[in-house]
Amino acid sequence: MIELKNLTKIYPSKAGETVALEDISLVIPDGSVFGVIGLSGAGKSTLVRCLNLLEKPTRGQVLIDGEDITAVSKKRLGQIRRSIGMIFQNFNLLEQRTAAANVRFPLELSKVPREEAKKRVEELLSLVGLSEKADAYPSQLSGGQKQRVAIARALATDPKYLLCDEATSALDPTTTESILELLKKINRELGVTIVVITHEMRVVESICTDVAVLDQSHVAEAGRVEEVFSFPQSEIAKQLVIPNLIRSLAGSGANKLRLVFHGETSDTPVISGLAMECGVPANILFADTRRIDGKTFGHMVIELPQDEKQIQAAKQYLTAHNVVFKEEI
Amino acid sequence: MGEVLISLFRDNTMWIGVWETIYLTLLSTAFAYVIGLPLGILLCTTGRNGLTPVIWLNKLLGIVVNIFRSIPFIILMVAFLPVAKVIVGKTYGPAAMVVMLVIAAAPYIARMVESSLKEVDAGVVEAAKSMGASTLQIIWKVYLPEAKPSLLVGAVISMVTVLGYSAMASTIHGGGLGEIAIFYGYNNFQDDVIWMCVFFTVIIVQFIQEGGMYFATRTDKRVRVKGRKKKAKAE
Repeated sequence: MIELKNLTKIYPSKAGETVALEDISLVIPDGSVFGVIGLSGAGKSTLVRCLNLLEKPTRGQVLIDGEDITAVSKKRLGQIRRSIGMIFQNFNLLEQRTAAANVRFPLELSKVPREEAKKRVEELLSLVGLSEKADAYPSQLSGGQKQRVAIARALATDPKYLLCDEATSALDPTTTESILELLKKINRELGVTIVVITHEMRVVESICTDVAVLDQSHVAEAGRVEEVFSFPQSEIAKQLVIPNLIRSLAGSGANKLRLVFHGETSDTPVISGLAMECGVPANILFADTRRIDGKTFGHMVIELPQDEKQIQAAKQYLTAHNVVFKEEI
Repeated sequence: MGEVLISLFRDNTMWIGVWETIYLTLLSTAFAYVIGLPLGILLCTTGRNGLTPVIWLNKLLGIVVNIFRSIPFIILMVAFLPVAKVIVGKTYGPAAMVVMLVIAAAPYIARMVESSLKEVDAGVVEAAKSMGASTLQIIWKVYLPEAKPSLLVGAVISMVTVLGYSAMASTIHGGGLGEIAIFYGYNNFQDDVIWMCVFFTVIIVQFIQEGGMYFATRTDKRVRVKGRKKKAKAE
């Protein structure tokens, strides 16, 4: 378990102090995929760098399995870092080493015998589906392939935790999807706890179990993903769930509803159902849904006729079909 | 060809000069790297954004390096002759010349090495840190291998610079083409001797430059070798 206690990071600068993080307290449970989401400059990257002390917090504690790493020796910190893998937006592969040699790198650092390291590298490359690219140099690999090598490298020392700093931000949507699938598999099959830093809600939605929303150096809200996603409390979370533009376009009113699908919803075609079974024509103002593993995720903003009876009928229908809805967009 | 030039070839003086120039250059550059490489690494790692910032040490090294670099070689050579006396026991001849060249080239090389190392992507260094690499491991396994192509280019430039310095050898009877050009050519009004020395110097520089760059490019894995790959497939 990773626990942050009153974590504060202040960068001194000539123009005064820049507060990157202020009084952050979070618990990242073992086995979870923990998302940290926020806009640029919210302090996400600083936060994740504090988890393995690439950034030294100004105040506060970082507890890894109960051990405060802000107070350990340099040597012990090195050992702890080996139990925390990390991947980056720009992959950060060693350009002069092949894919296999990159994966071998952390094993060399911890002086694993050559034969054993070789075997481990083969295992890892096959785990990330890149066995045939073992001898390729990073410049010969695509972005997605580079990130796979980086993931294999981060997993080489059998870490308990994996930190992902905007790991999919430099990738196209399809590649992002496949990298997220891989991360999910790693979480599920190897039991690695994953911390995902991102500015994209869809990344959080598709792989995270828990999420913390960061805004201006503070945690605006945190909780299970489906809760935060369905019922965002803070202004920033609302903004991340539905873009401002859509909200202003849609306006508000009793006849507008936001439907939330978080995988538990039945696969009934809801909109057609509303029209055919209740005779309520619904106008879709915004929709962002996708099917993952046969379950529907995402949400939709619909506009109903300005008629109290029809609105009631629609709400009953939605409740009956286990669709979560909210009047406030 | 004038008689002087012909006799220089006949008694092998010219060839010895070529050989001396090559060996002065190679030997001096090699020794200069023994000092310059660690110095460059220190300059890079102790800097403000370095691995282990030690600001006072960085400033001090920087000032020392700058002082040596601002002294013109011809002056540095005569001013530091006592150092040669201590190290090789002589203040003249090729051995003394090597000492002088090392003194002049090491600070230059240190700066070259520093700038090569600073080109290494900070993200890669951060990744290594995140894996628990120690400072020495980062220098040895990240900085130096990743900067290798740039370091090689720096070595080529340094070597050519050293070769240029070596031409001033006649001042302390250091040998090489520079001395032949001054001694037999300039002092005896033999222009063809001077030009022959220029010719050989140019050839040597071309070899160092082209060979070095070829080597540097070949070792750089960032460059996609398109032609070679396609050819291999066609075959």
